[in-house]
Amino acid sequence: MGLSRREFIKRTAALTAASYAGLSLPISNEDYSAHASDADSWHKGTCRLCGSGCRLELEVKNGKAVALRGIPQSRTNMGYLCMKGMLFYKLMGNNHPERLKKPLYRARKDQPFREISWDRALDIASKEFAKTVKKYGNNSVAYYGSGQAFTEETYIFQKVMRGGLKTNNVEGNPRLCMASAVGGYVTSFGADEPIGSYSNFERASCFFIIGSNTAEAHPVLFRRIMRRKMDNKDTVKVINADPRVSPTSRIADLHLQFAPGTDLALLNAMAYVILEDKLYNEDFLKNYADFRMGKKKKKVSLQKYMAFIKDYTPEKVARICGGNITADKIRKAALWFAKSEGTMSLWTMGINQRSRGVWANNLIHNLHILTGQLCRPGADSFSLTGQPNACGGVREGGGLCHILPAHRLVKKNKLRHQVERLWGIPEGRIPPKPGYHTMAMFEAVNEGKIKAIWINCTSPAQSLPNCDKYRKGMRREDVFIVVSDIFPTKTTELANLILPTAFIFEKTGVYGCTERRSQLTVKAVNAPGEAKPEVWMVREWALRLSKELNDPVIKKCVEPFMGKEPDYELPKAIWEEYTQKLTKGRDNDLSGATYEVLEKLPDGVQWPAPTKQWALKGGTDIKFVRGLDPLADKYAKNDLPYQFYGPAHPDRKLWIWLRPQKGPAEMPDSKYPFYLSTGRIIDHWHTSSMTGRIIELMRANPYAYVEVNPKDAERLGIKPGDMIEVVSRRGRNILPAKVYVGPCEGMVFVYWHDEDENRMINRVTKDAFDPGSKEPEFKICACRIKRVSGPRPLKPFLVHMKA
Amino acid sequence: MAFEKTLKSPVTTNVLRPPGAVNELLFPSKCIRCGRCVEVCPYGSIRPLDIHAGIFTGTPLIHVTDIPCYLCMKCVEVCPTGTLRPITQQETKMGLAVINKHACITWNGELALCRTCYNICPFKETAIKLDELRPVVIDKYCTGCGLCVHGCQVTQENGKKAINVEPIYAYRRRAIANE
Repeated sequence: MGLSRREFIKRTAALTAASYAGLSLPISNEDYSAHASDADSWHKGTCRLCGSGCRLELEVKNGKAVALRGIPQSRTNMGYLCMKGMLFYKLMGNNHPERLKKPLYRARKDQPFREISWDRALDIASKEFAKTVKKYGNNSVAYYGSGQAFTEETYIFQKVMRGGLKTNNVEGNPRLCMASAVGGYVTSFGADEPIGSYSNFERASCFFIIGSNTAEAHPVLFRRIMRRKMDNKDTVKVINADPRVSPTSRIADLHLQFAPGTDLALLNAMAYVILEDKLYNEDFLKNYADFRMGKKKKKVSLQKYMAFIKDYTPEKVARICGGNITADKIRKAALWFAKSEGTMSLWTMGINQRSRGVWANNLIHNLHILTGQLCRPGADSFSLTGQPNACGGVREGGGLCHILPAHRLVKKNKLRHQVERLWGIPEGRIPPKPGYHTMAMFEAVNEGKIKAIWINCTSPAQSLPNCDKYRKGMRREDVFIVVSDIFPTKTTELANLILPTAFIFEKTGVYGCTERRSQLTVKAVNAPGEAKPEVWMVREWALRLSKELNDPVIKKCVEPFMGKEPDYELPKAIWEEYTQKLTKGRDNDLSGATYEVLEKLPDGVQWPAPTKQWALKGGTDIKFVRGLDPLADKYAKNDLPYQFYGPAHPDRKLWIWLRPQKGPAEMPDSKYPFYLSTGRIIDHWHTSSMTGRIIELMRANPYAYVEVNPKDAERLGIKPGDMIEVVSRRGRNILPAKVYVGPCEGMVFVYWHDEDENRMINRVTKDAFDPGSKEPEFKICACRIKRVSGPRPLKPFLVHMKA
Repeated sequence: MAFEKTLKSPVTTNVLRPPGAVNELLFPSKCIRCGRCVEVCPYGSIRPLDIHAGIFTGTPLIHVTDIPCYLCMKCVEVCPTGTLRPITQQETKMGLAVINKHACITWNGELALCRTCYNICPFKETAIKLDELRPVVIDKYCTGCGLCVHGCQVTQENGKKAINVEPIYAYRRRAIANE
């Protein structure tokens, strides 16, 4: 009696106009119902609404996207999708009336936008960038990209910026989400990205989930974790460490609720227990580990580490952590962690978005190295990623100011010259100094040091912490802003030139998800109006720049891609150059993963995949293990089963770091007595410029709210639905309250998707950042809350294009 | 026939009386149609019935598919006649949410993970729980506010959602609260 998929689509489509009362959304749903009959064709692709990398198929009928479904053969999602993944076809092609369809331009930011032709738009973009370079130098221009752009797009953007415009001002929003994870992996393991894969979910017997609400942020992966737990109720343990009780905590055997910012102490205390109770793996330590400390990476002994960790007795740390933490709980967690057959740690922004995010990452890795919970089935230190292509495009593709494609550092002369040689451009073309990192980049916009910036596929006006401060700079008339996007956002409001781009399935490209897996999505429907793929824009823009600046090297950067049609041939040529030339011989070798191979597989290929045969098997499941990873065999130097050949650790050891407890940049005080933390809700993604435009998702969560602990609510006289003012030293929001035992006492939690000025929580958050990874501390700042009124009717809000 | 129609209560699936309402048999005689509950509702959830509703004309109703009840409990405070009895949020029983397991895409075996109703329930983990990621309503605690109905992403051809509030317990609220 199950309801068929098609009926479901019909049903979601049958929402009547009356049911939108109270929601003024300019969308009609009638369009979809007529087409939900038999399929014309199904096209394989990847979901773009989180970092899980779920494989799905798009149904296309008469050239129109009509439905999405999961692919059961896929090794990431096994056919499951969440509601975001099931519904985003409503944004494709002509399905959504609000899609940007024509280039829009205004000379001054106080003028209205006018529609212009592509020819003129690209002329303007190249003239402005050329003018800025001539007048203010190469470092006055910048590119700010996205973990949602295809690898091909990030790659060609950074190639033109670095090789062509001679600047390393190439950044992307992954700086805001996983830069600390990169720092952690490189400093602890010597190589970026996780060692294992999702396949460990089915093999792990202890999950240590810290700083991640997997149930909402990665629902499809959470299903696998939950399945594992439910099928093995007694043998599989789940430990959840989080200052907030989240849906993830519901399956936990042990919930460690510590006060925000005390995570480093907690992790060190677990290490203390492991050392004290001799739970560590001596052989593993002897063969593979080293102890390091300080900025100079000084080598120290095990004794020194033990002396350092003496300071973190569970009894003392329980007092530091507060919340519900007791010494017994820490001991229990450490015991489960060390003793299980395979322990898998999972974390996301709770750990990464800390002013000591890299340290927090190091301390999780420490536990794994100490206990030897690595490289075995089910044993892994696994950082989940928030965006679909933060790993593939930005971490691997060279989308940050200090890295070049394929994990090469800008400041390493040898590697930089290698890239110049591979690109066929003169040596010394790429500057040796890394560019501005994200926070410095927008600070430079504020100070007028950057005069022209291209923002692609992201909305920093809403997603930067303390965004009011940075919006001021973006409003400057002397800063020329190009924004390429599919919908109007908070950032297009500050642009001079808006370029309409093609959405996923309207162009071809590769996404690389959390587990080193690259997956191809081929074009299936036409983009609406004149929207174009970014790769085409960059090529045409670069050709014009070359003329304007009279610099043939810029042309040289896009020469291999000349004359290719932009929907398939062009991204394919870029992917070929990137994988065959740049990744060959590097630790993320993708040279076996050609478009042909990727198209053959139901899911994708996990690097290292140095040959086509290996890639056709799906690539490498676990890195560094001889017999499982072809590079581990190739680079083997001794007979040990694990070969940690990562490029950052020449001694081929895993490093255990001595990292002390460090609190957040801003602590609550008498004026601002509450901790403020932010996060995501299952039905909305990031700035909700896409999910907000899907009626079903918007109806379910029309606006953000603030979660207040019932005890605090009682003390402050706050009732559910009351309007609450959340004020910090930087800004204020007024949101409805939800009284809920989620956040611990003395802490409030706000969802950050809302585009309304009154409910945009990044106006309140703090822009302090990790000195190592430069990732801002979104998760913790001090605020005060006050009830301002009883419940008020609220309207959902989205940025619309003013005609 | 026309006479019967004027006596038929408008309360039905997803169409409910505000919190604290007396027995539906007494409602039209006790309510003086002052409209205060309509006026005070900050969300516009409560609407008066129009002239075509026979003896129920002018009485307040909540259509939870349009605008659900956010349980601010203002209406029960202003009701001058006690037709809406002054009860607390937890005592409210406007109806009971019932999941249609054939329509719900999480229940019916589609490879979909939806738990919107669970997420937006004001009494999450009390009134709705998850059974292996599938939502289950705990009837004792469901207030029938209709937030889940409003948020439900599935709309069937007959206009109903995959989770609907049935007014079945509305008359017996006190009995249940006393349990």
